[in-house]
Amino acid sequence: MVLDFNTMYYPGRFERVIEDFFKPQQGEGRRMAFPPLNVSEDEANYYVRSEVPGLAMDAIELTLTEKSLVIRGERPTEQGKYYRQERPAGFFQRVVALNVPVDRDKVRASLADGVLTVVLPKCEGCVPRKISIDVA
Amino acid sequence: MSENATETKALARVSPATDILEREDGFYVYMDIPGVRREDLNIDINENELTVTGRALQGSSEKESFLEVQFGPGEYVRAVSLSDRVDRERIKASLKDGVLTLHLPRLEKLAPRRIPVQTG
Repeated sequence: MVLDFNTMYYPGRFERVIEDFFKPQQGEGRRMAFPPLNVSEDEANYYVRSEVPGLAMDAIELTLTEKSLVIRGERPTEQGKYYRQERPAGFFQRVVALNVPVDRDKVRASLADGVLTVVLPKCEGCVPRKISIDVA
Repeated sequence: MSENATETKALARVSPATDILEREDGFYVYMDIPGVRREDLNIDINENELTVTGRALQGSSEKESFLEVQFGPGEYVRAVSLSDRVDRERIKASLKDGVLTLHLPRLEKLAPRRIPVQTG
């Protein structure tokens, strides 16, 4: 092999093994599905963030349906003689179910350094209403 | 300095997904390092080892509460060992859309040369 990784050697390897052993399995999510998603909210918006390295905005298809947000696209494979391939390639799709009302016309998406951010504003007109019951 | 070191240590260390392939004009290394800005990325060559380190600080405000977390801030660290056939002077690196591309060209072959023999 002309070019190889030193998978068996890196500084602090032993510490790393111990660290991994005692660490809760929070990093498991990284290997679950591509692309990984973070979903968060604050007072005004919901945020869906995703790591989609190597994709330009026009290569990502975002669809907002009645009840879900769909992120799909394709990662191309590089041409050449592979020695090692770890990066996921091919078609991907992830569906985020929206069980909450959002302001559909004001949804924005941005892409920076391979991280996609979709901002879904909370619906102002959809705040829960009180219904008064008239006693007959 | 020490404060900086502890801050770095707090970040989870992640080994980025990497492709290595060979083409006509040399070797290519692709690394997925989403969230790393150009100024947070370091590439060092030390003897036969090329080390890539980058810090990804996910830009979320503190007011947000997370419902689902599948990735987070982290420090990407990965080392690649270089063969003697790689021309170290001409290694090129570019970062686009969270993918680091390293081009490692082969050394040009030395042209054959005849050594004249001098008569003493």
